[in-house]
Amino acid sequence: MLADDGYLIERLRTGDDSAFEELVDHHAAPLLAVTRRILRDEEEARDAVQETFVAAFRGIGAFQSDSRVSTWLHRIAVNCALMKLRIRERRHAHARIAENAQDVDALLPHFQADGHQDHSSVSWSESAEEILQREQSCALVRQCIDQLPESYRVVLVLRDIEQLPAGVVAEQLQITRDNLKVKLHRARQALRTLLDPHMRGAM
Amino acid sequence: MSNVTCIELIAFLDAYVDDELDAGTRADFDLHLLVCPSCRAYLASYKETIDLARGAAEREEDLAHDAPPELIEAVLTSKSRRSKS
Repeated sequence: MLADDGYLIERLRTGDDSAFEELVDHHAAPLLAVTRRILRDEEEARDAVQETFVAAFRGIGAFQSDSRVSTWLHRIAVNCALMKLRIRERRHAHARIAENAQDVDALLPHFQADGHQDHSSVSWSESAEEILQREQSCALVRQCIDQLPESYRVVLVLRDIEQLPAGVVAEQLQITRDNLKVKLHRARQALRTLLDPHMRGAM
Repeated sequence: MSNVTCIELIAFLDAYVDDELDAGTRADFDLHLLVCPSCRAYLASYKETIDLARGAAEREEDLAHDAPPELIEAVLTSKSRRSKS
């Protein structure tokens, strides 16, 4: 976890430009991880980080000294990344329609007429903590997340990984909170289905 | 005997995990889980999925090296351009 950098903001406010370099040095790598997760495009992710720092510098007056610098920058980075995502979606509107048609239905559990699961679920062999000890397992989890249909992937990333409040995510994605809740539940179930064959045995 | 089916339990699993169910419904769900090993396995793997998504991202951040120097350079350049304008 990063030490809080409120003192850098104070120095920036007094016109100390070297504080900006320190701020960038401390926060660029974790922010790049965030924008990469949302955008999955290296060039766009880097542009979003660049825009984050420019926006932060311009909005330095809005920073409240009782908040954490890392949280403040994180929110700005998410906004910048989502802005790029919206531009990309508008550019590829046809692809989005095709994706929506595909949906996540195939990855959701199926049931018999009496309400029982079609195929019995089997316990996974290791805990998340044990699995994440292995670097290749982390990569596999990321690959499975990337296989989710885009609108579900984004919901899962923002809620379960970036841990943004539901109200903020619903507003950013311009959907209702009920719709967000349904999408998140479906995204988690779909991801569980994708992980399931790998988790039943040792990865 | 539980009067909840697997389909109902799984449909509201997020509310169960987030503790949003009223006490009566929660008790019905708990009873179903007691008698249904498949739903117990599903619940455990659903929770583990959330932990894995978050945990994998955290691990990747821990393993990540510094930001690329050209990105740092680009940020500092764009800031100094704005400071001058």
